[in-house]
Amino acid sequence: MIQLTNIEKYYANKGVKNYVLRLVTTTINQGEFVSIMGPSGAGKSTLLNIIGMLEEPTYGTYNFLGEDVTSLNERKRIELYRNHIGFVFQAYHLIDEMTVYENIEAPLLYKKVGSSERASRIADLLDRFNIVAKKDLFPNQLSGGQQQLVGIARALAAQPSIILADEPTGNLQSAQAEEIMALFKKLNQEDGITIIQVTHSEKNAQYGNRILHIADGIVKEDVAVIA
Amino acid sequence: MFRLNLKIAWRNLRKNKGYTMINILGLSIGMASCILIFIFIRFQLSFDEGYKNADRIYRVVTDWKYNAFNDFSAGVPIPFTAAARNEIAGIEKIGAIAKVQDIVHVRDNSGREIIKSNEDIYFAEPDFFDIVNINWNYSKPTEALKEPNSTALSETMAIKYFGSIQQAIGKSITLGTKTQLKVTGVFQDMPENTSFPLKIVIAYQNLYNYYGNRDCWDCINSSLSSYVLLKDGLSKSDLDGAMAKFNKKYYADKKIEGNQVNRLQALKDIHFDGRYDNFANATIARSEIYGLAIIGLFLICTACINFINLNTAQAINRSKEVGVRKVMGGKRKQLIVQFLTETVVLVLIALLVACIISELLIPAMQNLFKNQITFSLFGHPVIFLFMALLVVFVGFLAGFYPAMIMSGFNPALAIKNKVALNNNGLSLRKILVVVQFTITIILIIGTIIIVKQMDYLQQKPLGFNSSTVVMVGMPGDKISKGKHNVFKERVLKIPGVQLLSYCQSPPLSQDINSTNFTFNGTKNKDFEVRTCKADEDYFRLFDLKIVAGKIFKKSDTANGYVVNETFLKKVGITNPENALGKMINASGVNIPIVGVVKDFNDKSLKERISGLAISADKNQYWQAAIKLDGTQLLSTSKQIQALWSNTFPDNVYDANFVDDKIKSYYESEQVMGTLFKVFACVIIFISFIGLFGLISFVATQRTKEVAIRKVLGASTIELVKMLNGSFIAMVFVANLVAWPLAYLFVSKWLDTFAYRIHLSIWPFILAMLISMTITLITVSIRSYKAANANTIDALKYE
Repeated sequence: MIQLTNIEKYYANKGVKNYVLRLVTTTINQGEFVSIMGPSGAGKSTLLNIIGMLEEPTYGTYNFLGEDVTSLNERKRIELYRNHIGFVFQAYHLIDEMTVYENIEAPLLYKKVGSSERASRIADLLDRFNIVAKKDLFPNQLSGGQQQLVGIARALAAQPSIILADEPTGNLQSAQAEEIMALFKKLNQEDGITIIQVTHSEKNAQYGNRILHIADGIVKEDVAVIA
Repeated sequence: MFRLNLKIAWRNLRKNKGYTMINILGLSIGMASCILIFIFIRFQLSFDEGYKNADRIYRVVTDWKYNAFNDFSAGVPIPFTAAARNEIAGIEKIGAIAKVQDIVHVRDNSGREIIKSNEDIYFAEPDFFDIVNINWNYSKPTEALKEPNSTALSETMAIKYFGSIQQAIGKSITLGTKTQLKVTGVFQDMPENTSFPLKIVIAYQNLYNYYGNRDCWDCINSSLSSYVLLKDGLSKSDLDGAMAKFNKKYYADKKIEGNQVNRLQALKDIHFDGRYDNFANATIARSEIYGLAIIGLFLICTACINFINLNTAQAINRSKEVGVRKVMGGKRKQLIVQFLTETVVLVLIALLVACIISELLIPAMQNLFKNQITFSLFGHPVIFLFMALLVVFVGFLAGFYPAMIMSGFNPALAIKNKVALNNNGLSLRKILVVVQFTITIILIIGTIIIVKQMDYLQQKPLGFNSSTVVMVGMPGDKISKGKHNVFKERVLKIPGVQLLSYCQSPPLSQDINSTNFTFNGTKNKDFEVRTCKADEDYFRLFDLKIVAGKIFKKSDTANGYVVNETFLKKVGITNPENALGKMINASGVNIPIVGVVKDFNDKSLKERISGLAISADKNQYWQAAIKLDGTQLLSTSKQIQALWSNTFPDNVYDANFVDDKIKSYYESEQVMGTLFKVFACVIIFISFIGLFGLISFVATQRTKEVAIRKVLGASTIELVKMLNGSFIAMVFVANLVAWPLAYLFVSKWLDTFAYRIHLSIWPFILAMLISMTITLITVSIRSYKAANANTIDALKYE
């Protein structure tokens, strides 16, 4: 599903190249649950951003669903966002001016899903995440865990094939974090959604089935998690 | 999607109440100014609109080209109309119409007088109404105005005089002392925006009671005019040949002086050409209308600049939202639409507020124009179109740039709140602020200069003393003239009256009689002498100083001239004594100069003093100047009025103070001064708000820097200075840009006055001080807050 070949990323500063990623080559298949781990500044987030097409690599090729997306125009990238990719952020990034319901609805509106279809999908998600009672509340009226649930519900609304999560539990207490991770696992196993997460926590990484260890921009280890 | 956009827009506006209030306040004040200006301009441009064949209607005017000056009149010679009707090809219809003032008496069935009033009366040929179409309630012009001594009234007049239109028909009114007129028609009231404020129209034949000389080709009075309708398909230039031939035959071949010619003036130009008079006494130069429109545009642009600055300042707060929306699949176009929706919602709210402000200000605006015009907000449907255009214009001008900036954020950076705005944005914002303040400073300088010039006009000694002098109109008929002496005797007996002088006009007056003349046997070709008729008491009453010779002897006819110093200068005499005894031959009278009077301002201070000759002539004493002692003006005035009404029972008393009349000559400048004061305040206010928005932006953007500097030991004052620096610099630059522009503008305006203040640097310095002080205060309020903010708040998220 995702094929990265010799991905390099550096920032040139007065002729000196500061490498963030060096010669990253890896393949991620449909249905995998990959955790990217590593110390601060290792390039984890940059790698995730490149996978999410938020940043362009300096060198290398990137195939997404068999298509070269290294330098994609905005229209095509947005098509991929609408149909295939869901983002989950560490700081949730819900839109403050919109209610829970409207936040989940937003990607469907961009995808131009019909109103009855929209209503039933949202109702389904609210029900599944047990947040029906909260649908008319604004983000600042929710706890962090609840906000992240909404964030995940929003990412799932467009029925993506892959979810990219940048430290999804970084701002959460451990009980809430476990809940979120369990949810990810369930989504991965029951719905077959590919998940790539960046995390600091070994414990969280154990929920997935593969770990990429990165240090100084280089993939040091690529191990499978034994359940 | 759209509904959601609206909802989000509404929530956003409510969330940032402070910014929303500032934006709405600035925009609505700017829009209200634009709406009021639009209402005024539309009213002015709507003059004489809507007549059938309007593009083929012309007025015939008369032009002169003398060696030293040109002259213009809205009138034509009396025989013109009849001659042109037969001789100028291309004219479909031609109709004469003339205006005089006279007293109208209305009596009830028993013969008792119920109304006596001084009215503008029009004498019109029926053909005039074939050219200028108006609706008639009763009868039609060809019948109503066919016979002599018949008259048509407007609806309002018919109701005023006789109670209703039906009752008016067949009744009679008396014009002047004896002319009985039969009411034969009633026409609809003329609108306010007309150059033909017709109320009483009389058959043209009756005009000859007022103007005896029916064949004089060089007697031209601006009240006697003629209108033509060109044949279908012809334009003004098609008649050039015929007009030239006509002018040659009647003027050039007859050797009439001043290269007199008639030419055609389009109906739509009548209201806008100040050189020619019109019946409504209302003209406005097109340049004034454009000037006003430009000020309106400036105001709205300043308001938009504010909005742009405030919104880009806020953009950083929305960056997360932009990033999230983009990764959810939102296109840039959709984001632009969303932000524009927000702007338009805000602009619509501002429009509502602007309508309320306009409605509240309309009475003040009418007051400014002495309540002669009724304005109303929704008086004409075109205002809705204007408002719609205004919303679109402001929405796009104000909303487009911020929308482009915000929607252009890179999502990866935006999500992390790491967008950088200063690289591309601030330079444009700086330019906008400089533009905004340039406009503000120009208006401040303009206002200061206008106010100073008006003060100067009011304080400048005019060379005569007119305080507590009241001018009373005197009837012109023979019987009344016979009563002059008796009236004078009785008036002087009223306690509080000091002096009375019969005269044509007060020393400073815009009613000008001038004539060509022969001085000491040689015909003068350089200028026309202004003549003024007054009795011998005139000089004492107005405190005019005689510098040589003496005042002419008491007489009913001219026996000697008292000329002013300017006259001597113009004919080349340096020593006033040498002028005494020299003969002036003007208007067929040849009499000597007996005295020289010290120069006084005989025209408004926009013009230089003219060469003037004062002499006696009882037949032209239209007014009595009465000097009161200042203590009991009201009771004395009342006694004079009672005495006057007793002495001249058939006439209407009309009096005003000379000083008030002089003030009225500067009415348009006074209006302009008021407008400038208002606009300057509005624009200062708007700029003030904008500056506040911009410093908020900078303060927010530099929060982290400020915090770090504080940790490093910077004091609050140092931080405030740092934040203020660029603003003071921008306003300073704006001053430099504004000065030359303002100089051009004010010196051009001052050039319209013959007597003007000397243009010093102080108004410019003052404007600079005002603008800098306001800037400093505005900016410091916000930057002090930023410098004083808690350091930890700014740093803990990093």
